[in-house]
This record gives sequence, structure tokens and C-alpha cells, in this order.
Amino acid sequence: MSGQKNSKARGLAIFFLILPLLLFLVSLSIGSYGISPRGLFKAVLSVVSPASYPDVPAAYRDILLRIRLPRVLLAMAVGAALSVSGASLQALFKNPLVNEYILGISSGAAFGGALSLVFLGRAFPPQVGGFVFAVAAVGAVLLISGKAESHFISLLLTGIIVTAFFSALLSLVEFFASPYVLQALFFWLMGSLSLASWKDLYISLPLIAVGLVILYLLRWRLNVLSMSDEEARSLGVNVRREKIIVIAATTLITAAATAIVGIIGWVGFIVPHLVRMMFGADNRRVVPISAAMGASIMMIADDIIRGVSSFEIPIGIFTSLVGIPIFLVLLKKTRKVWL
Amino acid sequence: MIITLSALILSAAVIFPGQGQNIKDNLGRSVAVPPRVERILSLQPEITRILVALGATDRLIGVDYFIGRDDHLFKILFPGGKRLPVVSMPDESINKELIVRLDPDIIFASPTELQVPDSIQRSLGIPVAALASMGSFEGLLQEIELVGILTGFEERARDLGRYFREKIRSITESIGPLAIEDRPRAYLAFWSSLVRTPVFYEPVQAAGGRNVADGLLPPRLGTIGAVITVEQVIKWDPDIILVQGSFLPRERQVTVEGVLGDNRLGSVKAIRQRRVHYTLGFWYWWEPAGVLVETLFLARLFHPERFERLDLEKEGNAIYEMFYKKPEVFSKLGRLLDFHEWTEK
Amino acid sequence: MRVKVGNLAFAYPEFSLRVEGLAFESSKITAIVGPNGAGKTTFLKCIGSVLPIPKGSVFVDGRDLAALKSRERARLICYVPQEHDTTFNYAVSDFVLMGRAAYVSPFSLPSREDAGSAAEALDFVGLAQYADRAISELSSGERRLVLIARALAQQSDILLMDEPTTFLDPKHETELFQLIRKLAVEKMKTILVTLHSLEMAVQYSDQMVFMKRGEVVAHGKSAEIFEDSLLEQVYDMKMKVIDWEGRKIVLR
Repeated sequence: MSGQKNSKARGLAIFFLILPLLLFLVSLSIGSYGISPRGLFKAVLSVVSPASYPDVPAAYRDILLRIRLPRVLLAMAVGAALSVSGASLQALFKNPLVNEYILGISSGAAFGGALSLVFLGRAFPPQVGGFVFAVAAVGAVLLISGKAESHFISLLLTGIIVTAFFSALLSLVEFFASPYVLQALFFWLMGSLSLASWKDLYISLPLIAVGLVILYLLRWRLNVLSMSDEEARSLGVNVRREKIIVIAATTLITAAATAIVGIIGWVGFIVPHLVRMMFGADNRRVVPISAAMGASIMMIADDIIRGVSSFEIPIGIFTSLVGIPIFLVLLKKTRKVWL
Repeated sequence: MIITLSALILSAAVIFPGQGQNIKDNLGRSVAVPPRVERILSLQPEITRILVALGATDRLIGVDYFIGRDDHLFKILFPGGKRLPVVSMPDESINKELIVRLDPDIIFASPTELQVPDSIQRSLGIPVAALASMGSFEGLLQEIELVGILTGFEERARDLGRYFREKIRSITESIGPLAIEDRPRAYLAFWSSLVRTPVFYEPVQAAGGRNVADGLLPPRLGTIGAVITVEQVIKWDPDIILVQGSFLPRERQVTVEGVLGDNRLGSVKAIRQRRVHYTLGFWYWWEPAGVLVETLFLARLFHPERFERLDLEKEGNAIYEMFYKKPEVFSKLGRLLDFHEWTEK
Repeated sequence: MRVKVGNLAFAYPEFSLRVEGLAFESSKITAIVGPNGAGKTTFLKCIGSVLPIPKGSVFVDGRDLAALKSRERARLICYVPQEHDTTFNYAVSDFVLMGRAAYVSPFSLPSREDAGSAAEALDFVGLAQYADRAISELSSGERRLVLIARALAQQSDILLMDEPTTFLDPKHETELFQLIRKLAVEKMKTILVTLHSLEMAVQYSDQMVFMKRGEVVAHGKSAEIFEDSLLEQVYDMKMKVIDWEGRKIVLR
């Protein structure tokens, strides 16, 4: 009987792991500039051998390679990054109410981006400043909570304090800056995949990949780290060192993602919950399936935004509006208690 | 549609000399205005510029952060302006104590800063009118008329209004009747972004062109900017792309070179034919002389054969002199903003 | 596995522990008893290195515990807490598998052998049929057993159990003690147990340690040292020990 349950679960898991690949193909065919699947297919082929397909409009190739492809890849990467980050931090803090921004990444990134826009201007992409200060914020949290960094309450509280501090600094920058300079910033902060260009991806994708690999390898270890610190220590784990590795990896991927797309809420919080509801708490499953599900959800959300209107609705708003009701419905439906 | 709307808004004002009037502002608020105002606090740069044009600067007792700090032209038009107290900050916060001390009879605000009008009126009991042209000539002209009445400079306001209308009329006449396919399709990249565009910008129309984003949004009160996708721009395939050039060159985030070099837009007609230009655009709404010059410039851009003999620099300086009684302002502006084309004879 | 406590001192802000010169042997159960706040749990946690201890305090077969790396130490000693906070509802088998953490490098997964050891451990405590159940579905007695199974999977020769039978009903309490006895005898573990129940302590343990206010008052073979005056001294209360059919009963 449990074998039946197991194989059903396995089938479902495989479905979720494959879903991103399917969605990837679908997403490439969605956008304001309507291209039929056939046209898309020809456009792909014409990239490989342009001579054989002279009648494919240049616009098709430009849109496919320079607009849609980077954007869909970014959606996958960011969705996976935020979900895995959320799952890992939830395990680390032994608290499922934690999200990937609690250590101050969101406000650090916002401040860094603003600082860069105001003082370094057009010459410097704000993403770099955003990334630097996102990491700085987490560093500050770790430094301040010091020896007590293994107490999750202390880390959480320090995270709240550092977040508030950088928010105040951001307000200060806004106070002195010209509104036109900061307009770009506000749009970024609302969370949008519209800034996706290959230049951004060349840097952020490898960073996200590195972090994801680290957390993927650590996925069983997260089970052990989700025990109380005393238990983990008794089980033979160097708690302090491994916590820092997890925090470093999650910070890397969340900061890299936030630097490009701004703040996209709820994905990193909800996806791990959904996965645990369906597959249990074992992080050997939760981590990879969260990555796949996060990628899928981000692609679906972006597809809806791009497909429905010609406007650039910030995806951050969308994920909140859609994510919360879905979560509530699923919470009601599930019979299994995961808490 | 906007023209009718703006006309309705201000035509609701009933004017009795010696008595106050009720005007309806762009946020739909009904504002009770005293018959004559001696002390004006203008948080709306468009209105501030109109006050300078009318010669009513002695009524101006305070300004906002933008015109005080970021408006490079204002320093030329009204050098005395730098002594005016600045009452607002970029984050929409206002110095209420300062306002009380300045004791204005009326406050003008921008409809885009939604919190400001109600917040001030509620706490200080001073009438606040949220007015803006919203990209329409009628809107601008009605503002000029209204401010003229309120400050007692009706005649000057009428002169400016007549001059404005006459200039536009002569532009439209020079262009002549146009079939729709003879109107070049223009995409406007405003507000530091390739993907933010105004859904209504009358100069384009008056100059014999077509705004590709026309009718995209039923314009909500208070704002006319829409954020769209790059794919949408490619889909529109405009003949011309106009980049907002009112930023100082070193502060421009979107540049003509940048747009021409954007490899996503390679298939767009405007890129292929290298028809990407700067235009003035909004600089926290309009500056009335600038709008006229811009319309002239666009008319020549869209229909060069009908404006061969146009000496833009000379015309521009004349327009600015009419509005602000200062010579060579347009030349100065062209140098500030690095507009080679503008000053090309 | 011989555990020797040399000179162990640990201080909290309002409490300090000081233990000297104790030794524990394999296949023996030592019961650590004393009033609340005596420092029993602190003592256990120190030996288990759950609380940091200085070098030279605790030795296992001559090796200084504080000088060992976490993994090596975990392979020698395992601290079993009284209760486990179930934030995440792991399956029982996954939970027991975590006991193998000292044998799996951080970036790897447990091997088939690890899974096998975990399954064996679960079987030893008699809960093999619960392998796929979620932890929260088990009774508190069963959860104690799962904690012990995890400790078994860790294959450390020294087990430190903190009040394993508190809050268990008499039947489960007895069964648990029989299991602990089995561990000592069959698996030759060195077992330290903190207890409140004096009768259980004297019945099942080979050696007893009496603690009070952070210090060891007495220690020795259970049968020998368990008598009235010592109990009175430790608990500040008159007690009488009665022999009944070879068992000791405590009257208050």
C-alpha cells in the first residue's frame, strides 16, 4: 500500500521536475509581438542556418533571442533561486514562516541600487550596487549577532533591525535625489523581469547556478540543520560553519536575483510550503522540487503578464496577488499536517 | 477626448468679478478659490512657469523642490527664483510649518502627487488646486487663462493665449491637410526609460504625426504615462522614435545613441532609417514656450519639405522672448541640452 | 568505552557545575539523579559536548573529547534530548536517518549502508512498521523510541539520555528501561541516564551519581549507596528505603 503511495509521489515529483522544460518552450512563444509556433520554430532554425530561411523576419530573431530567451531564462533562474533560498532558510531557522529576504537582502539591495543611481549615474549599472549592499546587509546581520548567530531569534531580530536601517538610508537617498533618476529604481523595486538582457544574465546566471549547486548538494544536510542546534551538534555537525555556508549560498543567489529583478515576494515563501505539503519535509525532495516549481511558477506568472497585455505589470505585484489566495486554498485542502 | 475633458473641467468655473469661484481640478476636486490671489504657493512647475510668463512673479511666494533644484531653464528664465523658499521634497513630503508661515491664498499642486492636495487642504485649510496640462494644448491654455484671472493679469494671459493658438494654427496650415498614412508614426520614450510612453502628447499630433501609443490607456486622472514592453515597441514598428531630451546630457539614462545601438530593436523602421531624435518632452509637465518650439521642431522633423525655410533657432528665440521677455533663451537652452539639430539652421 | 571525567566546570550566569573524578564503563548504565536544578541536564550536555567544554575535562578511552572534531566526537558520544520539537514533520525513517550525519560528509547523501543502519536501529526499538509514518502521528512514547533509534543509528558507544522516561505511563516507562538495559547488555553501550524516578534508577542502573547544586554528592554502585541518609541529604526531605522481594522502594 505504501508502495502505491510512493510511486504516485514519485510520478508527481517527476512531473514537476520536467514541467520547467515544457514551460520553457511554451513561454518562448508568448509575447505582444504575436509569433505563431511555426514561425517560432522557423526562427530557431534560421538562427542555426540563416541561409536556409531567408524569409524569416529579422524581428522574429531579435525578439526570440534578445527579448524572450533571456527573459524566460531569467524567470527560471530567479524562480528557482528564490524558492530554494526560501526552503533552505526555512530549514535553517526551523521556522516555516521565514522568507528569503529576512536577513536584510531586499532593503540592502534597494539602498545599494539607489546609491549607485544617484552617485554613479548612468555609467554604472545599479545592479552591482544592489548586489554589493545586499551582501553587506547579510554580513552586517552576521557580524552584529556575532557569537549568538546560531540562535535563530537573534538572527531574525538582527535581520529586522538591519532591514529597517537600510530602509531608512534608502529614504535618505530618495530625499536628496532627483525624481527622474529614481524613477528607474522604483520600477525595479516593484519586481520586474523586464530588465532582462544578456549582459545582466552573463553575471547573475553563473552566480545563481553556483549557489543552487551548493544548496542542492547540501539538501540532506538541511534536514539535520533543521533540528535544534543542540541536536545538530550532538549528531556531529559543525553547526556554526555549516550555517554560514547555507546563509552564504542563499545570500548569493537571492542577492544576484534581486539585483536584476528587484523584489519579488511570496514565491520563496510559498513554493517550499507547497512542496512540503505534497512531498513531505525531507529536503532531499524539497530542494530540487522547489527549484523546479519556483521556475515553473515564475514562468507562468511572466507568461500571463506578457500574454495578456502590452503593459509591463510588475511581477512582484502579481505573485503577491495570486500567490496568497492559492496558498490559502491549498492550506485548506491539504489533510496532511506538515507543521 | 482629453481636450473635451479639460475644457469641461475648467468651463465649470463661473466667474463673478469680486467674488470667489469654484474650479474643478484634474483630480476631480472642487476647489473654492478667492477672487484675487496675492500670495501663490506653486508646487506645480508648469504653473510656476506660467506665472513667470505672465509677469506675476511678485505673487509667487514659494516653489517646489523640482523647479528650485532640477530645472536648469528656470534659472535662466527667472534668476530671482533661487531666493524663493522651497516647500516640498522629492518624496512628496511638504514642510507644513513653512507653508503656514508663508500664508498663501492658494496652492497649486501636480495631480501626480495624489497625497499632497488633500493632505494640505485638510490640515491647513488652504485651497489646493491640482492642475496639469496632461499633454493637451487646451489644458495648458486653460491654465494660463485661469492663472491670469486669479492674478489680475488677464490681458497678458489673453495675449499669450492668442499668440499660442496663432502659432499652432500657422504650423497646422503650413502642413496642410494630411491623410492618415502621411502622418509619420512616432514612439515617445519618455521619463528615463525606453518603455515608458505618454498615451497623449498633442505636439506630435499638431506637428502632423501620430503617437503610436494613442488610445492605449484611457488616461487616468493625474497621469498619462504607460509602461509597455519592448516587444510592443517592435510590434508598433514606429517610423520615428523620440527620446526625452530635457535631461542634461550627463544625466540622460536613455540616449539616441543607446537606442540606435539597442540590438533588440534592429528590425524597427526608425532604427533602420536612423530616425531617432531628442525632443523636449515633459520636464515635470510643460513649459509653454518650449512646447511651441517643440511643435515647430517636430513639424519640421515630420514634414521637412514644408519647413525648408524655417530658421528654428531664430523662431525659438522669438517665442521665448514673447513669453519671458528675455533674448536668446532658446539658444542657451540648445547649448545646455546639447541640441545640435535644434539650432541647425 | 571508558568515559572519564577529569575536572569538569561549566558556568551559566546563575549556576555553576563542577564535577571531578567520575568514570563510566561500557555495558553499564549510570543513573544521574538529584533535585531540580541540580545540574543533571547540564552535566549530560557537557559530556555530550552540546555545551562547550574546555580541554582536559572529559576523556573517552584516553582521548580528550574537547580536542576532537564534531564528527569524531559524534561517533563516540550521542546526547539524546528528552523531547524533540517537531517544526517539520519528517517521516520516521528520514528522522532516524539523520543519526548518520557523522558518517556522511556535508555535501553528500546517505548511502544505502546508512539507510540500512537506520532501518536496523528502528527495528531494534520495535518500530519498523512505522518507518513511513510522519513523526507527528506517533504517541509521545513512540517518539521517545524514535529518538533512541536515531541515537542507535549514530552507532556511538556512549549514550547520554536526558530524562527519557519522564511523562511516560508506567508500562511504557518499564518497556523503555528494558530497552535501555538491552542496549547496555547486547550492544555494550556506555549509558548515562538522568532520572527523577529513584526506584527505577536503583532498579535498572549499575551505578548512580547523586547531584545537588551543581556538585556530585555521592557516586557508586547503585545497590550499595542507595540508603536513607544519602537521600535525605540530597533531597532535603525525610525518606525511607524499604527492601521488598529484592527491590528497593522509597517511602516519603
